[in-house]
Amino acid sequence: MTRETRPPRAEQQFFDDPAIDRIMGAFMALATEHYVLRDRFLALERGLAQSGSINPAALDQEPDESERAESLADRKAFVEALMRPLLGEQDALGVPGKFSLKTTKSEA
Amino acid sequence: MDDRSFTAAQDFLLSAKTFWTTTLYGAVRDSYSEKANHSQDGASDSVEAVAEALEDTTLYQFYAWLERHLQRMKYAGRYGLVPYHEERRREMLEALGHVDTDDRFLELNENLDLPAYYTGVDIHQHPGGVWSDALAGVIYERGARTTTPLLDAAGKDVHERFTDLALAGGSHSNVLDMGCGFGKSTQPFFRRLPDSRIEGVDLAAPCIKLAASLAQKAQSKNVRFRQMNACNTDYANESFDLVTSTMVLHELPPKTLDEFFDEAFRVLSPGGRMVNLDFYCLPDAFRRFIHYGHARRNNESYMGPLAEMDISKLLTSKGFVDVEILPFKETEGVDIDANGSWRFPWTVIAARKPERCGS
Repeated sequence: MTRETRPPRAEQQFFDDPAIDRIMGAFMALATEHYVLRDRFLALERGLAQSGSINPAALDQEPDESERAESLADRKAFVEALMRPLLGEQDALGVPGKFSLKTTKSEA
Repeated sequence: MDDRSFTAAQDFLLSAKTFWTTTLYGAVRDSYSEKANHSQDGASDSVEAVAEALEDTTLYQFYAWLERHLQRMKYAGRYGLVPYHEERRREMLEALGHVDTDDRFLELNENLDLPAYYTGVDIHQHPGGVWSDALAGVIYERGARTTTPLLDAAGKDVHERFTDLALAGGSHSNVLDMGCGFGKSTQPFFRRLPDSRIEGVDLAAPCIKLAASLAQKAQSKNVRFRQMNACNTDYANESFDLVTSTMVLHELPPKTLDEFFDEAFRVLSPGGRMVNLDFYCLPDAFRRFIHYGHARRNNESYMGPLAEMDISKLLTSKGFVDVEILPFKETEGVDIDANGSWRFPWTVIAARKPERCGS
């Protein structure tokens, strides 16, 4: 039996709520991806610096007020997208609350 | 997947593992010490009591999760060893293929029955195990480079240090490495004993193919790797004056371990020594708890049973004498006792076959 044809086996569980186990999996996958991108970004910077295309010292300098103001809108949009889900509000109106077919009683 | 991304991801995982090995492990150990100090009974001597104290704590749950999943991500997932090598299958197999026909280095047995305990679980979380795919030996070798967290500051590999110990105080003209894997444990023996005959046996064809390939590249003329069950070899009685194994015993069910020692005894010459490097000496309940948890999380089903066995009694019952069970420090450059990091309970298990059986 090859790796591909073997039936799946339930993963081990370490947290009281298995959702945390799975979220941690997604979190670590993203962290790995983030580091891969960071590594490539730094390699690009090194290459560009060696070719004289960029001045690394200038890149490392603290941005002045005008540059920070220019990026403010982008920063706000990023924070909005990141944190808006914490409010638990719908973007498109529908039935609220926890959904279950086991009961007709709304738990909202 | 490009090479740079693969290396960056594996380096990230290794750094995360190092944090786990040092900071997180230390925090779990300190957490247990604190609980033990505050309890009326003090530190317990039972694994169950440590489990009772730790298993429901958030800290330990993260510790356990990371042990399981950092290893999973090392092998599988987007940047895992398996997909990386899969994308390079043809070139990697071409690099190995030329030893197939050279039986001076390599002897394969397509009809060898692999035991169910060996095929039923993917040890080390290596998908498909170390036996089912032609690339498995190469993948195993790459993965093993980062298995031992405490690297020797003097640069002396754990296998070299074990070989020092195995060869001490004797001359050896015939050496058998039982369960040799991809030959990492065999290399110091055939390199240091150029006039001796060295044989390595293992169940996994992909591993011994790599072992033979590496030996051929090293232009060694005194070694042969054979696909064979170490518990049931075809060597004549009293063929070897030294029999070794490295990190094999903990992979064997108790009944198979029994057969393994019987076979080692049979093939040893009178006066010959058996020297094994494995994981056995666990000084307290906390270390035992951590080790048993590692066994489960890393798919090492028989680590626990090995640690529970009375090996000295077993070897004596088989006729071995001069049984030695000694903690082994895998590094010269670090004060292990003061370091406090997670580490395997390295142990040397050695014994001698008497000059005359029954004497």
